[in-house]
Amino acid sequence: MPKLIIDNREITVPEGTKVIEAAERLGIMIPRFCYHPALGSVGACRVCAVKCLEGPRKGIQMSCMIDAQDGMKVSTTDAEAVDFRKHVIEWLMLHHPHDCPVCDEGGHCLLQDLTVSGGQGVRRYQGPKRTHTDQHLGPLVAHEMNRCIQCYRCVRYYQEFTGYEDLGVMQIGSRVYYGRFRPGTLESPFSGNLIDICPTGVYTDKPSRYRGRRWDFERRPAVCLHCSLGCHVTVSARYREVVRQEARFSESVNGHFICDRGRYGFPYVNLPERPRSARVDGTETGWEAALKIAGERLESAAWKTGPQGIAVVGSARCGLETQGMLKRLADAKGWRGPVFDIDPAAANVRTAVSRLDSDLRVSLREIETADCIVVVSADPLNESPMLAPALRQARRNGARVAVIDPRPASLPFQFDHFPVAPDDLAAAMAILIRKCADKEPLSELGKTAVRSLRGVSDGADIPDADGLAALYDDLHDSRRPVIVCGTHTAPPEIPGMAADLALLLRIAGPRAGLFYVMPGPNSFGAALLSDPALSFGDLVSSIEEGETKALVVAESDLFGSGIDWDRLQNALNKLELLVTLDYIDSQTTRAARILIPTLTAYETPSLSINNEGRVQQSPAAFRGGDPIARTGGGEHPPRAFRRDIPGREMGAAWTALPTLGGRNPGSAPVNLTAWLGDAHPALTSLPESSDFPPDGVRLPLAENAGERFQTDRFSHGEKEEDALTLLVADSTFGTEELSSLSPILKELTPSPCIQIHPEDAAEFDLSTGDAVRIDTGAGTAVLPVQTTDRIARRVLVIPRHRDLDDRLPRERRTVLSKTAIRKATEDA
Amino acid sequence: MSDALESVKALADGFATTFKHLFRKPITESYPEYKRPLPARSRARIELTRDPDGDERCVACYLCSAACPVSCISMQSAEREDGRRYARWFRINFGRCIYCGLCEEACPTSAIQLTPDFETCKRDPLSMVFEKEDLLVDGCGKDPDYNFYKYAGVATPVGGKGEHVNESKPVNVRSNMP
Repeated sequence: MPKLIIDNREITVPEGTKVIEAAERLGIMIPRFCYHPALGSVGACRVCAVKCLEGPRKGIQMSCMIDAQDGMKVSTTDAEAVDFRKHVIEWLMLHHPHDCPVCDEGGHCLLQDLTVSGGQGVRRYQGPKRTHTDQHLGPLVAHEMNRCIQCYRCVRYYQEFTGYEDLGVMQIGSRVYYGRFRPGTLESPFSGNLIDICPTGVYTDKPSRYRGRRWDFERRPAVCLHCSLGCHVTVSARYREVVRQEARFSESVNGHFICDRGRYGFPYVNLPERPRSARVDGTETGWEAALKIAGERLESAAWKTGPQGIAVVGSARCGLETQGMLKRLADAKGWRGPVFDIDPAAANVRTAVSRLDSDLRVSLREIETADCIVVVSADPLNESPMLAPALRQARRNGARVAVIDPRPASLPFQFDHFPVAPDDLAAAMAILIRKCADKEPLSELGKTAVRSLRGVSDGADIPDADGLAALYDDLHDSRRPVIVCGTHTAPPEIPGMAADLALLLRIAGPRAGLFYVMPGPNSFGAALLSDPALSFGDLVSSIEEGETKALVVAESDLFGSGIDWDRLQNALNKLELLVTLDYIDSQTTRAARILIPTLTAYETPSLSINNEGRVQQSPAAFRGGDPIARTGGGEHPPRAFRRDIPGREMGAAWTALPTLGGRNPGSAPVNLTAWLGDAHPALTSLPESSDFPPDGVRLPLAENAGERFQTDRFSHGEKEEDALTLLVADSTFGTEELSSLSPILKELTPSPCIQIHPEDAAEFDLSTGDAVRIDTGAGTAVLPVQTTDRIARRVLVIPRHRDLDDRLPRERRTVLSKTAIRKATEDA
Repeated sequence: MSDALESVKALADGFATTFKHLFRKPITESYPEYKRPLPARSRARIELTRDPDGDERCVACYLCSAACPVSCISMQSAEREDGRRYARWFRINFGRCIYCGLCEEACPTSAIQLTPDFETCKRDPLSMVFEKEDLLVDGCGKDPDYNFYKYAGVATPVGGKGEHVNESKPVNVRSNMP
């Protein structure tokens, strides 16, 4: 632990700390352009110069390049160092264009700040400036190379950190150019971070180009709602619209970066079709009045049919408050529900939540420190994009990463892929569990575990079973193995088996961890609070049978459940009353008799629980209301004085729900955290919103013993030799509910296709580019074929797509007979 | 006795002066019958000027609204199809403006300029709120030559990369020749 003196203040830092970091711990921000904590030091910009007065090195040194050592005495304010830095900035500014007024970085530009604070506001150099042409880099990032100061941050981030190669560096000296070999859309789904990481305006945000200056934005921290990881973002809102999102540092969730889905998924808040006024039977009504009418009608429905004739439905995108209030409402009034498992994967999530214990769970950042990772039935890049860079960091640190999944996984680093068909996933996991159970220290437990595997085949027919056995040896020999398990398409026994494996590994020696990937931002909360006895399918049947007469749907699109649309529409038509509370325009809001618009998580404080049971708070970014772009019709704001905010009468869903129960609106509970404890015991000790820690709080989960091994859960029928399994998969852009509404991401959404193994394709006389007609059971679609040998045999993968919504089956896994697909010929 | 005489004389002198001035032509110029020509740099009503080519100078960079001590300037910037940044709408509330001139000082393109025209009193406060069409004038105002886009280095119809004042041709990244 070296002890050094920086600007006459003493500090002790861990071995290997750079002087620039040590100074930062003292609160001294040494200027920097190329140094970034996530990327390390390269010493390219020379602006972090300090003077070492005493110690092993003396004179001007780059503080990002030297390790803190005992006896160092460093001055950041020494005249020589200040003069050095001043000249460096002047050199960096030699060719800098005179375009700050039209540059979006202006106002939060590191170069601008340092130029002004270094006293270089007036250019002395009068010679001609070097210029560069710019490239088109796709819909997200604008490129302006004249502004570059050659710090290499973008390339180090893009190639080293996230592992994509299409953006690089060309030329030498002052001619250095960062860009693609040919102009084109950036391949990385993490390209938005270039905007955050560039210390000047080379990469700026294209969707919010020329929309405002940072000093004018209402900037608040928020939690991303576009997958279950709950990454931290900073929201910039202006004129009652969300304009831009940036990554926000989080020690235990996402680190410094976010994915493009999270960054650009926000426009659902601003959409012109977003419901903004309450509607009763098709006529616009005041918000409070509509709530009252809904409350009265629900009361009379309860008189007629009894409270069991009313059901409440939520979803995994509801905030924790809304979920809790739905449960409270259903409990208090005796209504059925709440049903949150609109998503067919909800049963898997419930298993995952019940099996995740406080000892085993790891955070996203802890994955980076793992040394052997097995990803089971998950597709990180497409389901929870930020998991991929976390895995890559582990790989860069020397970890082995193996993916056991039928889909053609692609990750930006070297990994082992075991393309195991969904039916064989359990057998593949059983190989690992059996091998683990053989080890000495767990003789008794191991026997229980192996007993629980009765009914699972020994995996002899799995391709590369030896590879899996070897993988187990790596797991066993590792110091910190982590099992990552998906829930989206996983067969029901997999989440439990993943937990079994992690538990056994932990007892066998290594400090194993467990990480589940879940479908929705608040799937964890939904699993805790939903009524396990009622599934959405049952609910639809009970509507068809006339048992359920009224439905309250909060922030949930029932048509995303995958139930046949005609059947669902008929069921909804049979209802006497459908009350929908939502902030997006969906088929469910259009079908509603009473529509009550609600505030998004940007406009009201909200809590959510991420995939590892971390409750995170996201304060309101702005107060909501009709955006000025809407009230002014795109031109100047209306010429009128008024005291209120137009369109601000609506409230959050959870504040509206008590009125539906027939109580006056004032009776919404004041102490939120206290009544969430009533809803579920795990939520008892949430801190008050004012002292919510920045990284949230991890829910206390049951410290479970080894008694949890799943037994008798396996009911494997005979495998049909000729059958094909259809997997309805996710893709990074275009499948998550809220971000799929984003016009920004439309261009990046892949077009529909069907993926198949070339040998299977050959059976049907198909090859890449052919069109195939497939009868999915829910409808018929004609799709182009993509063959890939990274996919499991006898598996078809169709990434979900808005155009296919009504023709894909509800289940993420469907068994199809071979007659279901055939080549679509011209005449067909 | 002489004291009394002196007092009377002083009184009479004073009255005589007053009486004399009663018959002289006044030298006070009264407003509004006479409007004094003000110096060009006096600070009153604000306008948005155009560059010598006749295009809007304002690039809606928000520096004037940031500098404004009474927050009377608001705008929305946008991108024109040809790549120029411009103000989609621009509003100055003269009911609030204190004519301090900080906006003019902050303006990097010489777009916003104060004029000597101070007669902007209105009865309806809303008519003191000027929109862009009220503010925009034809002409360069006090700065007849400056065209920001000739120096900025961003590609617009005024000039592409390397075509602005004091710029060398864009680097050919595929060649090693200097």
